[in-house]
Amino acid sequence: MENLLNFFIETGKLKSKKRKGWIFRGVREPETIASHTFRMAIMSWLLSRRRGLNINKILKMSLTHDLCEVYAGDTTPYDKILPKDKKHWKKIFDKWPRLSKKEKEKIFLGKYKKENEALNKLTLKLPSVLKKEIRNLWADYEKGLTKEGRFVRQIDRVENLLQALEYWDAKKQFAIEPWWIQIEELVDNPILLEFIKALEKKFHRK
Amino acid sequence: MEEKKFYLTKEGLERIKKEYQDLKNLKFSKTKGGVPKLWESEDLNPEYLSFQEDLSFLEARLAELENIVKNAELIKSPPKEKQNIINLGATVLVEVDGQNDEFTIVGTLEANPALGKISNESPVGRLLLDHRVGDEVTVSSPIQTIYKIKKIRYRIS
Repeated sequence: MENLLNFFIETGKLKSKKRKGWIFRGVREPETIASHTFRMAIMSWLLSRRRGLNINKILKMSLTHDLCEVYAGDTTPYDKILPKDKKHWKKIFDKWPRLSKKEKEKIFLGKYKKENEALNKLTLKLPSVLKKEIRNLWADYEKGLTKEGRFVRQIDRVENLLQALEYWDAKKQFAIEPWWIQIEELVDNPILLEFIKALEKKFHRK
Repeated sequence: MEEKKFYLTKEGLERIKKEYQDLKNLKFSKTKGGVPKLWESEDLNPEYLSFQEDLSFLEARLAELENIVKNAELIKSPPKEKQNIINLGATVLVEVDGQNDEFTIVGTLEANPALGKISNESPVGRLLLDHRVGDEVTVSSPIQTIYKIKKIRYRIS
């Protein structure tokens, strides 16, 4: 029990860790990593009902996909290209970052390694069945190994788009284009493509 | 289970087949020891439950892999005269908003935009298909983004 308790205390830290992308853009009192996980899990459950997917696995995967960030912190696609001088940041955030294939691979592998180590540290003292399950779910999500892994990876981005649209709609304090570009290159699930149309209608055709 | 075609590169199909074989071996070794007998105890045995859950995961994955192999279509390089047209397997250099980017168009199973692999079923992947160098493709929902096609090549083994 003590090991489980310690695990819950550590994962509880995500309730107060604010997501870096919003801090970079000057959003006041932005959402935390846990609040992103909460809505993502709800969306995963309700949007996967019609797709013949394993909901049990999808929910567990959604709930655990960012646990590694307790120690690894969250990352954004801009981390490697942000200059020290914050005056230039706005211009950079106006565009979706374009990198060479080599750079993409390097960033992906570096992030994977860092997060894998963080997750191993976090789950080290859990019973071996749980440890194995959490690590497998995370690897499936990161690599998109199964249809559930690919679905949750897309839901993660769609929840992020919804949050971006809500902040953008309230204050228009940052460019929304990069989120749409990322989504149009990433999402291929028919239900999520339909959901994205609904987002477009709600936030862009008023 | 859905009967759709799965477009895979040779490496992708080999990886799927290897996973299928590995999991089949794992299932064999798991079941060889015999499933614990639930009826021997009134209480639910947590070990039995985790084993059962593991096994049902395993079986679901095996069924999924079997379906993929059954419906797999290998992505092949097109004949030389058609290599100037974007098809599955093409690596495309594009210019977007003044910046260069490079994508390989793959089937949904191998897509990973973080690694530059775009699904042929994504809006951008779908729009790029059948275009040539010099073409401009506009993704217009809801922000207009223009993809200028600068180079197409095929590196399929």
